[in-house]
Amino acid sequence: MSENRKNRRQKAKRKSEVFYHLMMFPGLFFLILFSYVPMVGILMAFQDFVPAKGLFGSEFVGLKHFIYMFHLPDIAKIIRNTVVIALGKILIGTFMAIAFSILLNEIRRQFFKKTVQTVVYLPHFLSWVVLAAVVVNLFSLDGSVNQILSVFGLGPVNFMGNSKVFPGLIIGTDVWKEFGYNSVVYLAAITGIDAGLHEAAAIDGATWWQRVLHVTLPGMMPIILLMGAMSLTSILSAGFDQIYNLYSPIVYETGDVLDTYVYRIGLVGRQYSFGSAVGLCRSIVGMALLLGANGLTKKLTDQKIF
Amino acid sequence: MIDNKSVGSRVRIRVTYGIVFLLGLICLLPLLNILSISLSSSAAVSANRVGLLPVDFTVAAYRKIIDDSQFWKSFGISVTRVILALILNLAVTVPMAYPLTKSVREFKARNIYMNLLIFAMLFNGGMIPTFILVRNLGLLNTIWALILPGALPIFNVILLMNFFLGIPHSLEEAAIIDGANPFQVLLRILIPCAKPCIATVSLFSIVGSWNDFFSGLIYIQKPEKYPIMTYIQSLSVDIQELLKSGASVNALENVTELSNRNLNAAKIVVAVIPLLLIYPFLQRYLITGIVMGSVKE
Amino acid sequence: MKNRLWKKIMAGSLAAAMMVSLTACGGGESTGSAGGSSETEAAQTGAETATSERETVTVRMGRQTLQNAKLPDGDTYEDNAYTRMAEKELNIDIVDEFEANGEDYDRQVSLALSAGDIPDIMKVGSLDELEELYENDLIADLTNVYETYASDNLKAIYDSYGGRALANVTYDDKIMAIPATNADSGPSIVWVRSDWMDSLGMKVDEDGDSCITIEELETIAKTFMEKNPGGADNVVGIALASWITSGDPDGTYTMNSVAYALNAFPKTWYERDGQLIYGSTTEEMKEALAVAARWFDEGLLDPQVGTRTWDDITALLANGQTGVTFGTWHIPDWLLNNIYAMDNNARFAAYAVETADGKVNCKHNDATAGYMVVSKQFEHPEIVVELANLFYDRLANDPSLLETYPEVAEYQKQGVDGSTRPMNVEINSYNSLLEGFGQLQACLNGEITVDEVKSTEEKSNYEGITAYLEGSGDATGWAKYHSRLGGVGLIQKLTDDDTFEWLTPVFPRTTSTMETNWANLEKLEEETFIKIVTGVLDVEEGFNQYVSDWKSQGGDTIIAEITEQMH
Repeated sequence: MSENRKNRRQKAKRKSEVFYHLMMFPGLFFLILFSYVPMVGILMAFQDFVPAKGLFGSEFVGLKHFIYMFHLPDIAKIIRNTVVIALGKILIGTFMAIAFSILLNEIRRQFFKKTVQTVVYLPHFLSWVVLAAVVVNLFSLDGSVNQILSVFGLGPVNFMGNSKVFPGLIIGTDVWKEFGYNSVVYLAAITGIDAGLHEAAAIDGATWWQRVLHVTLPGMMPIILLMGAMSLTSILSAGFDQIYNLYSPIVYETGDVLDTYVYRIGLVGRQYSFGSAVGLCRSIVGMALLLGANGLTKKLTDQKIF
Repeated sequence: MIDNKSVGSRVRIRVTYGIVFLLGLICLLPLLNILSISLSSSAAVSANRVGLLPVDFTVAAYRKIIDDSQFWKSFGISVTRVILALILNLAVTVPMAYPLTKSVREFKARNIYMNLLIFAMLFNGGMIPTFILVRNLGLLNTIWALILPGALPIFNVILLMNFFLGIPHSLEEAAIIDGANPFQVLLRILIPCAKPCIATVSLFSIVGSWNDFFSGLIYIQKPEKYPIMTYIQSLSVDIQELLKSGASVNALENVTELSNRNLNAAKIVVAVIPLLLIYPFLQRYLITGIVMGSVKE
Repeated sequence: MKNRLWKKIMAGSLAAAMMVSLTACGGGESTGSAGGSSETEAAQTGAETATSERETVTVRMGRQTLQNAKLPDGDTYEDNAYTRMAEKELNIDIVDEFEANGEDYDRQVSLALSAGDIPDIMKVGSLDELEELYENDLIADLTNVYETYASDNLKAIYDSYGGRALANVTYDDKIMAIPATNADSGPSIVWVRSDWMDSLGMKVDEDGDSCITIEELETIAKTFMEKNPGGADNVVGIALASWITSGDPDGTYTMNSVAYALNAFPKTWYERDGQLIYGSTTEEMKEALAVAARWFDEGLLDPQVGTRTWDDITALLANGQTGVTFGTWHIPDWLLNNIYAMDNNARFAAYAVETADGKVNCKHNDATAGYMVVSKQFEHPEIVVELANLFYDRLANDPSLLETYPEVAEYQKQGVDGSTRPMNVEINSYNSLLEGFGQLQACLNGEITVDEVKSTEEKSNYEGITAYLEGSGDATGWAKYHSRLGGVGLIQKLTDDDTFEWLTPVFPRTTSTMETNWANLEKLEEETFIKIVTGVLDVEEGFNQYVSDWKSQGGDTIIAEITEQMH
């Protein structure tokens, strides 16, 4: 009897697995074709790639570009700048997106809620080329921000030309552009929380803050962890378009990051190989951080990200 | 939901409204600025005189757009692309996310698939080999070159998987006991329950393909076939670069005449409108999507 | 076990997929390398064959396009009045393999190269790219077709550069490209609001040589700041773009004119006393920076210097916040016209800044910019020369052509951009600027009639300027008046008076140390310069430190490499 049931179960399980493979197939097809096949391009990092010679005709140079990268006179400063800006964006950006989605969820007036939600997600669609002009106007010496500061007897601050405040400007404006769009996924996570839990907590006399802390946040936690871990993979990308459109030599000290530096190097000799070596390093660091975050999450919360 | 109208909570609600309103306002400013630039005379714009209200109000820029046949052609290409890409993305990612919610015990190859996905999310071969691949597949200058390379947004698969994991297991089990196969489980149980999440990944897909200009620059070699964002991107000019390359005076005149910032702003405004419309539409699912509470056991 | 099997399957299918989809790209490259010379010989023997007797040839092209080319509705880069004329005249069929703007075009060229499939005729932007094509044996030797097919006028145009133009594209005695010419652009001109000077009763350049000293420049800027004739808030004395100096002599929105007047040549390689030097590292450069630093200190220089973009400075001018700026002769046509749009009373006077001995330093440009190359596989390399003949000789010198193709004449009148020609390079004689100006002036003086003016461009300049002088208020006329009579007029005057002191720089190819270190050296230079100007670094100390860093971080090696290149 039990033997029979076990068999049947086995059979059902195997049947399910066939279905699972079938469901994976379309994705796998595209994954192999458009992700794995072009990965031969990683070879470029170990070549002196010349377009006219092609991928298979260019000369292999081993780790030359990696060694060169770590011998750049400014590399330590550039990596520091990159990590400071990227980390600032990740931490503040994630916090803002979560906080905003929780606050917005409190709003009961549907029209107001929907309008605000639509408005905050719009800056995401404006490219940095366009937004940079807005930022420059707002933050220049005679711009609105300095006018407001002067009301409080502060400033003027040369935001664009002071290397001490420049990273802050970059982080702040990026958070401003992206928090609304990033909150979309958290809002979806909040809708997934069992309303019954809130009711139960309220009956138990929990304050709003306690409910946020003990119901909303834990309910969002899997998505928060996922988004956090994913954004860690971009720790070595501080956002090329934004910085390129806002920086100038006067703030290289704190504003020159990996992407902008690689871009300027590329301008001299169209160095595809160097760019690809830097990209590979970035991927490896991203991978290490992602695996680390996954492992840590598993250990601490018994959940995993993937 | 819970109306306990104590003074404290009323203050709290007011503060909440206040903060949300302020954040909304801050995000509205750049848009207002761009909108008023698009409605101002180009002289006022080049003198940086336009703030939140138009200066020398004119709709000349919008009139020009109406006559710009390339703008509308590109607009149409983008609409087609977004629709095709959305269908393909959902068709690929949703079925893929479900088996990944299974444990290795239930689905032996699960971790292999997962690792392949994670690896491909982090590592890529770069622009050149992908271009050669697309070219050899004969996709250059077709809309498929804009769609197929991005058919599998890996991040969306992982996001969907995480949302599926949040759906009570009991529902699924009940369906399986009723004899449903995994495909039916996905269709009947998971997709209806995960509406907010599917709306979210749909949004990501739509926004992603609408906003992407770079694949157009690489895979489309005739400007007449550019999607809208590539078209808008192609309008931005690096005058310094042009000066260095020995451009003729006539070329500089033509280019600077176009870099009329008010016209470009108007193009951006019009290009953002579809995204403005699609969001409230998807919001229905985001806000009132099936809340788990309603399917309490 | 099973896991391992899976991995094997995956690896196998991956490898297979790669083979199929990626090996195909290497195929086209090697086939033609041996047969190259015979093809050009064939072209040579066929020299007497008239174009019309040739079977219609399909020409696949790479075309660099331009934003706002002003093509009439329905026309495209691939099919427009110019291509239709070329197709008919040369009996060819033009097919565009790829089209893109600026940098995006350069990327398409690299992609085409990587895929091993270059068009029959295309433009490349830099000598580095040309060299790469030559070294990898992908492009045809054009020596014979140039000798055989180039018209006398075309040859005369190239010869007007004293051999410098063709020398740039000659490798191992072989002409590998039809280059775009790049005539000298003159100095970075000081543009001063003359309506403001008039209203303030200021007298500048009293000796009438159109040159001012640095002190006079300072006086003008100071007076404008104090008197604020523009009635603006936040008045700025002198504004500069964030890059401060430029490698082009006429660098717009830079302090080049001041540096040149102090005998400093920023971002320029040249020989002095038989030694190759880099202009940004000289003592003279230090002096120039000291002047800018003093300006900053005195408040004469924009306090936001270093953060201003191109558009910002245009806005400062348009708002009347500043009335002095620097730039090439044609900025009235496309930059200063923004000021006229804001203020119809705006007028500009053009001056050059003179050295202590009353000379105006200027430097020659490299003679070429942009290169048309022909694929080695292409059987009719002569077509590229015939295209050059058609557009730069016949179209300019043979009026009957415009009668046969009225739509081309219409294009020229409407200012449809030259990039729509299936030969997107400019080939003009070394003196074309002053020659054109001479005709324009003669016409304005009534010495010749409009019909005797050769080029369509000068004709429309004449019409615009006369209309403006008659008080039409037309913006184009205002622009042409300032750029031609102001800008080119100044160059003509300085040439006539023999005021120019010309420097012939060295134009190096990118060396291997430049490839690795140049971005860093450039950063060092730009960062140091702006810090010196804004007083963050002491002029003396900061500059000396910069020079020694520059040398030790690769500068000395690069000098050695370029010196070797030269010999």
